[in-house]
Amino acid sequence: MTSTGRARGFIAIALLPALLLFLFFVIVPIFWSAYYGFFDWKGIGSAKFIGFGNYAEVIHDPVFWRSFKNNMLIVAASVFGQVPIALVLALLLLRNAWIHKFIRTSVFMPMVLSSVVVGIIWGYIYHPEIGILNFLLDRLGLASWKRQWLSDPSVSMYSLMVPIIWNYIGPYLILFLAALQNIPSEMDDAAKIDGAQGSRKLFSITLPLIWDTIKVAVVLCISGSLKAFDLIYIMTGGGPAHSTELLASYMYNNTFSIYRFGYGSAVSTTIILISLVLIAGSQYLMKRDNR
Amino acid sequence: MQLRHWRNGLTNGLMTVYALVTLYPLFWLFISSVKSNEEFYSRPFRFPTTWHWDSFSRAWKISDMGTGMFNSVIVTAVSLVLTLVVGALAAYVLSRFQFRLKWLVMGVFLLGMLIPIHSTLVPLFIVMNKIHLLNTYGALIFPYAAFELPIAIFILQAYMNTFPKEIEEAAFIDGMGYWGIFAKMMLPLSAPALSTVGILAVLRFWNDFSFALVFISKPALKTLPLSLSMFATGYMTDYQLTMAALAIAVIPTIVVYLIFQKSIMQGMVAGAVKG
Amino acid sequence: MKKKTGALAALTLSASLALAGCGSGGKESGNANANNGQGDGKEKVTLSLWHNYTGDDQRAKTMRAIVEQYQKDHPNVELDIQAIPPDGYRTRLKTVAAANEMPDLFVMWPGVMTKEFQAGDLIQPINELLDSKTEWKNNFLPGSFDGFTIGSDIYSAPIALSPTSILYYNKSILDANGLQVPKTWDDLLKAVEVLKSKKITPIALGNKAAWLAQSSIFSSLADRVTGTEWFLKAASNDGAKFTDPEFVKALTYLQDLQKAGAFQDGFNALDNTQMEQYFAQGKAAMMIDGGWALTNLAATASQDAMSQMGAAVLPSIPGGKGDPNTLSGVVGTGLGMGKKVSGAKKQAAYDLLYAMAGPDAQKRVLESNQLVSYKVDLDKSKVTPIFAEVYALVNSVNRTPVYDGVLSSAVADEVNNGLQDLLMGGKPETIAKKIQDAQDKSTQSDKK
Repeated sequence: MTSTGRARGFIAIALLPALLLFLFFVIVPIFWSAYYGFFDWKGIGSAKFIGFGNYAEVIHDPVFWRSFKNNMLIVAASVFGQVPIALVLALLLLRNAWIHKFIRTSVFMPMVLSSVVVGIIWGYIYHPEIGILNFLLDRLGLASWKRQWLSDPSVSMYSLMVPIIWNYIGPYLILFLAALQNIPSEMDDAAKIDGAQGSRKLFSITLPLIWDTIKVAVVLCISGSLKAFDLIYIMTGGGPAHSTELLASYMYNNTFSIYRFGYGSAVSTTIILISLVLIAGSQYLMKRDNR
Repeated sequence: MQLRHWRNGLTNGLMTVYALVTLYPLFWLFISSVKSNEEFYSRPFRFPTTWHWDSFSRAWKISDMGTGMFNSVIVTAVSLVLTLVVGALAAYVLSRFQFRLKWLVMGVFLLGMLIPIHSTLVPLFIVMNKIHLLNTYGALIFPYAAFELPIAIFILQAYMNTFPKEIEEAAFIDGMGYWGIFAKMMLPLSAPALSTVGILAVLRFWNDFSFALVFISKPALKTLPLSLSMFATGYMTDYQLTMAALAIAVIPTIVVYLIFQKSIMQGMVAGAVKG
Repeated sequence: MKKKTGALAALTLSASLALAGCGSGGKESGNANANNGQGDGKEKVTLSLWHNYTGDDQRAKTMRAIVEQYQKDHPNVELDIQAIPPDGYRTRLKTVAAANEMPDLFVMWPGVMTKEFQAGDLIQPINELLDSKTEWKNNFLPGSFDGFTIGSDIYSAPIALSPTSILYYNKSILDANGLQVPKTWDDLLKAVEVLKSKKITPIALGNKAAWLAQSSIFSSLADRVTGTEWFLKAASNDGAKFTDPEFVKALTYLQDLQKAGAFQDGFNALDNTQMEQYFAQGKAAMMIDGGWALTNLAATASQDAMSQMGAAVLPSIPGGKGDPNTLSGVVGTGLGMGKKVSGAKKQAAYDLLYAMAGPDAQKRVLESNQLVSYKVDLDKSKVTPIFAEVYALVNSVNRTPVYDGVLSSAVADEVNNGLQDLLMGGKPETIAKKIQDAQDKSTQSDKK
């Protein structure tokens, strides 16, 4: 399709609503927020311009780096947990037997619940007094494995990964299912004729065909985990003593708990920059793998 | 063959266990909503001794969930349509056309996916205050759609990329314009992806609290999460009512999900026919 | 202060509100438009009111009833009421403040919030109203207006009083183990030892939201060690520093208590509601909590459990500089008035403010099991026994400041996190240093 005048007109008109909506309600506030990052502002009264002061403070704040490290753990857990699990499930659940439908439906269910409910439920599973996990360990004669799952900093980040992985597998599963179902059936036939089966078929035919979808999933995964906030905030509030703080909760606390709007804005701008680098990096790596 | 059969049985069995574990929280939510507060603490994992069914009607009345439900349906539905139409149009262009500045447009949307939405609350509030959008349905609809757009576009675009070029070219030769191709071919063919986007969007809109809290203050415009928030006072806890209210709020999302799920299946059938 | 950080904890999450603590809301916000403009000759005005009395507890119901009554009595005033649950209230207020769109009247906290709003030129003083009703003004307890006063301007009148550190104890557990209510630090440690050997949790603690250890335990404990004067100096960065040995000593005391095994396992994973529940179920002999526990306990604890409860002040510290017969506490919220209110609107606002904070309102609030900072004779038949006991206690001792009531939000946050760290074994000196760093930074940015 060539870029004729008619096509150009269509491109402009078709893109316009999305761009306008997006620029006005998302991009403008982002830049506004980046701009606040240059001020010492408590959210009320006059703001004082302090140049890169906030940004310099972000870089030198040990809590920020701790949040960063924790967040990288979550990103890793999501990319190497959610995506493969969802992919495996999608491959196994491709057929339409009722049992597969049932399992598919269930896997997605956590998404239907708001994070509050999920957070509270997992809070009960890890509960130090009545938690079902410690209870089970006791019953299994593994009392020495019992932990303060959410308040012991040496395990709490790992405890938090489980519900995060569990909660968000659903959408990736659906994404992969949609992509797999879209593979034309001739491909299957062709593979059969070629004698490609099992893992060979998976790696030489199926995966390359849905590679774009996998890339989307990874991008969603990275950006989603960098924004991860709700679940952790409900289960631990980023505590004790910042040990489970994430970038988003750190930003949120600074803005809305201790009212350093300027600093909070600088943190959120930094988060955006970090995300950009990560996503660009992952795209670059995956491109090379593919070609 | 036997081995394979056995292996299938095992994987199915394991996956069923996984599914049941996953469903448990939902079950827990409904059980807790008919339990007394005292039992909520003392027997969190068991059936209630007496079933308090009245908690649902009480929760409904006390938090005025009728109004909340109505507003949530409107806001969610309109935002959803806006997201799907605007998102699909943009995805179509980005997937099928080459033009200068395409990289810029893609980059801008990509940027949007990375934003922790809480960081934009204050600037958004100021912007919307200036254009007198606060306290209208628009105060929620536009930001919801705007924040959902990047994901919608990326999923739809990735999906549309998989369509072979020939079908469109044939249609083009038949004299169908771009709008015709979009409406008559792209949209129907994208049904599975649209469903995916739709589910994600509905869940997000339906459960959103931060935007609703900050941008809506008229009682008549309250969405469901705000009605639910009526259960919160910092001082005491009535888990039974809260759980009942949460359960009521969850039901519509489950229904919507089940409907959308069906249309994913239909999309697959359509794909097979096309093949 | 109580819920300050606690409320923030759940803040703006998707629906987190719904669980952070729940009562049930009424129709408080519905009838805003009833009876307006029945032209009785008065100029018709519209007044916006923001409050957080959304719960099902008695205090909230009382406040809503007062507002409804006001509406009936003032047909010329149209009230635009926003009832916002406590968890989201501060965020909402902060957001409109940032956009300079304050409501006409709103529930406002003393101390830091009042200061910030005043500095932002968002509120106006109510001296005129107070001076026109001197009897009312003089009946407030001493120090009631301190948190609302800047210079000679008073910006609100409190409708609540929150002692933050009451030592609640379970009489039958103490009796069964031959223990007395601990009067000194040694008593306390002894009691901890005895109870621990019997496998009973000595003190219930739920410090997930991090403000509790600070507000309830440390504010009083540190005051016993350092004295109030030292703290006020340190808080204004004027001749005392948080790195001073007395503060480090106070931290060490708290850590010693934890090391002695006073608190149950996993105290950093429980919130304060769960802690209160734990205590009410008789699983712990003591609990250090604020006055707000009273409403909570009244709602969830059994009659039987309530009758076992007693209240006392924290034990004294050997050689401490502070007066041991004190409770840390803060004056509660009052109504602030937006800067833009004037003319007939202002008169209507004054009337409403008086209706909600006047002598009659104070009495009704007290009878709803909520302490007030106003001289009222308590009719004991109308409240729970433990409330009566706390009421008597509060009126017999002096009040000392609460850390997060005096320190800026950033420094209070550092103290909260520092104490969590301390209770997990962090070094007192390091924590003291961090707090002082935050304090330096905060005062520096204020001066600029």
